[in-house]
Amino acid sequence: MRTGMMNSAKSSLMLSRSANRNQRLTRWFGEGFLLVVTSLSMLAVLFILIFIARDALPFFSWTHFKEFFVSTAWYPTQNPPSFGALSILFGSLLVTLGAALVAIPLGLTAAVCLSDVLPFRVRQTVKPVVEMLAAIPSVAYGFFALIVFAPALQEHGGPMLAWAFWLVVTPFLALTLLVLADLAAARFAENRQSLVRGLVFALLGAMAAWGLWKTGRRLHGLEISSGTNALNAAIILGIMALPTMVSVAEDALQAIGRDLRMASYALGATRAETLVRVVIPAAASGILAAAILAIMRAIGETMVVWMASGNAARIPEPWYNLLEPVRTLTATIAGDMGEADQSAGSAHYHVLFAMALVLLLFSLVCNMISERMIARTRRRLR
Amino acid sequence: MLRLGTRKLLDRSFTGLGVLSITLLTAALLILLAPMCLRGIGAYVFQGTVEFRRVLLEKLQRGDRDELKRELAATARARQPVFDALLAFQQELDRMPATQRRKLKPEFEQVRAAVKELLGPLPGEEIPLMMRSQYGQTRWDRAQVKIRKILFAEDYDFSGGGLGRKMLKPRATTFHGTALEPLFAYVEHHAVAMLAPQWTFYGRFLTDESHDAHFFGGIGPEALGTLYLTLGAILFAVPMGVIAAIYLVEYARENRLVRLLRICISTLAGVPSIVFGLFGLAFFINTVHLSANKSVLVGALTLGLLILPTIIRASEEALRAVPEAYKQAALSLGAGHWRSVRTVILPAALPGILTGVIISMGRAAGETAPIIFTAAVSVGKPLTLWQTLSQPTPALPWNIYNLCSEHVAVDEIRHVQYGMVFTLVVLVLLLNLAAIIVRARISKGLRT
Repeated sequence: MRTGMMNSAKSSLMLSRSANRNQRLTRWFGEGFLLVVTSLSMLAVLFILIFIARDALPFFSWTHFKEFFVSTAWYPTQNPPSFGALSILFGSLLVTLGAALVAIPLGLTAAVCLSDVLPFRVRQTVKPVVEMLAAIPSVAYGFFALIVFAPALQEHGGPMLAWAFWLVVTPFLALTLLVLADLAAARFAENRQSLVRGLVFALLGAMAAWGLWKTGRRLHGLEISSGTNALNAAIILGIMALPTMVSVAEDALQAIGRDLRMASYALGATRAETLVRVVIPAAASGILAAAILAIMRAIGETMVVWMASGNAARIPEPWYNLLEPVRTLTATIAGDMGEADQSAGSAHYHVLFAMALVLLLFSLVCNMISERMIARTRRRLR
Repeated sequence: MLRLGTRKLLDRSFTGLGVLSITLLTAALLILLAPMCLRGIGAYVFQGTVEFRRVLLEKLQRGDRDELKRELAATARARQPVFDALLAFQQELDRMPATQRRKLKPEFEQVRAAVKELLGPLPGEEIPLMMRSQYGQTRWDRAQVKIRKILFAEDYDFSGGGLGRKMLKPRATTFHGTALEPLFAYVEHHAVAMLAPQWTFYGRFLTDESHDAHFFGGIGPEALGTLYLTLGAILFAVPMGVIAAIYLVEYARENRLVRLLRICISTLAGVPSIVFGLFGLAFFINTVHLSANKSVLVGALTLGLLILPTIIRASEEALRAVPEAYKQAALSLGAGHWRSVRTVILPAALPGILTGVIISMGRAAGETAPIIFTAAVSVGKPLTLWQTLSQPTPALPWNIYNLCSEHVAVDEIRHVQYGMVFTLVVLVLLLNLAAIIVRARISKGLRT
């Protein structure tokens, strides 16, 4: 032990004194070895790109590139087969969009609340909740969507939607009306303001309440023919993507620092005004990065959409109808790879790799953009 | 300009909005976990009938033989009137006028089938081939479903139009005045005597093999497969990840190559999991021929690649969090760079690295998409360590999917599905809990 320490002390001394060739070589080799191991992840990315592309390219040379992106006829097992993936691409897009609509607003408000509103102690207990949501395996989410949520949606879908609509929209509408009434009243003379405010509020309020009631009734009466549809998948995917959104956005908000906030408070802004007008714009690129990462999580997710989206390869009618089943890229790959001959190079096998290539390129581009965004926030703050 | 009152109100409602979103988040977690936990525990703790104890004794050689014999005798006595009623009605059916016979016979067949599902094969019958038809209902909750099936016929009421409403029609009225009529009241009131339900703790659900496609037995092979895959992925990814992190933190200079490396790591983290699965198939199986077909080895390697970026990032963070003073102290004592990394920095960063490793373990255990084409099969025996190099395995995440969407009798084995999800979720959450505890220790321990 002791001699070892002596040796190393001696050797490092010798190294600093003169260039001991042997020592330098060892050092060089050691560092080289570390570099090689580190490069493994670069190699992995490269290999993934190469091998997915290698198996995808035969498809694009065999059939028309156009058919894949333009036609909606997805009959890979018929003779002759047709590989129109438009409806599948659309399904992926629709479900991801729905998930983003759930995850981004909810995630952003949660992140703001975590970083600026809640006291430290509460924050410490909420953080594990977010972590647990992130940790639950995707297949468990899928199981919940298929076994618990889908039957509930099928049987009580209308009332559930109506209540959710009322709960979410009513407070927002009330606040908007309040602001509108205030703005309208500001144009009048001082002594008439409260009257105008009350009048505008009552008038708009009555209209809004009527609209709310009508829309809610319509939602209430909806009959949902199948619980496994785009809406189910979108909601569950949204919840899955929430932790990503919350944690990345919260980091971005935290990175803004106290100075900016204090400056805003000093100018007389309330906390809400500080957050909406100062902090969120300053953290915009970080929040955008969070949104992109959440979207990536949603579009790349397999099990939930495979189990909950209904797997019907057609575009809903009308296109924004979330209550119809859809089919996504990931679910198609997962579901069809078993049927396609896995080792021999059938066209069906290659078209699935083409889908994977589309997914891969999409996530590469998204990743690049989000990295840029995060780097930009960092640079600006410095 | 807004009034001060409105601004204050807006501010307060903004706070409310934030709190609401946090509440929603928590509610989502609770709603998600509640059914999984409540019904998942039902796979381990439930009211087992005498049939369950029979399965245990006859197929798994567990339990008290004499005790069971007594129980079987008692339940057989309780069952006798049911069998008698069936037999009596069978004879009555032959004497009936043809029109009435044609009307009652199909429904009688339904009742007989339901009784067989509830109690197992009728006495004097040949032992059926399928194990699921050799025994009656092993669980009291399933038995009650079957009793309803005996008592009521399902019918659809189309008077409202559309899909029709499900209606339950008591069979006792259909068979009114026949020899079968007493059977229904008897089944309703003597079910407990016929099946002798008892609270059972079936802890070996976790380790038992499944019998007859999960109708009986536990989830042993799946749990073992998940264990193999997770440990394999960790064995591959942890050394690689930690070495990469050491290089990036301690040795790398900021040059183009290192920047490229960082971009690649974050890119790897963003690749969809299903693409990892396809890559594993295309590269490890179809190109390198690591194994002829799916195998645990290939699955573990694929999962290892998937968790590699997470481990690199966590280790990097942990290494960076080690105070500069530690390193300087080591260097000033005469240790070389590598030596100070090995003996001072790495041990100080170990808890942080461990946190990342534990969280990645949870991720690897729960991922499904990468193992569909590389490692997972629906049914299989537990593997020995040597077999993992060439054989595929059942695994919890894949079998959860498989059992709840591709199994022949999805409704019959709900408890197994819930049990699997429960096991997986508890495993993953326990790992995360461990990570949280380790992290709490670090923030206390690592101070300058």
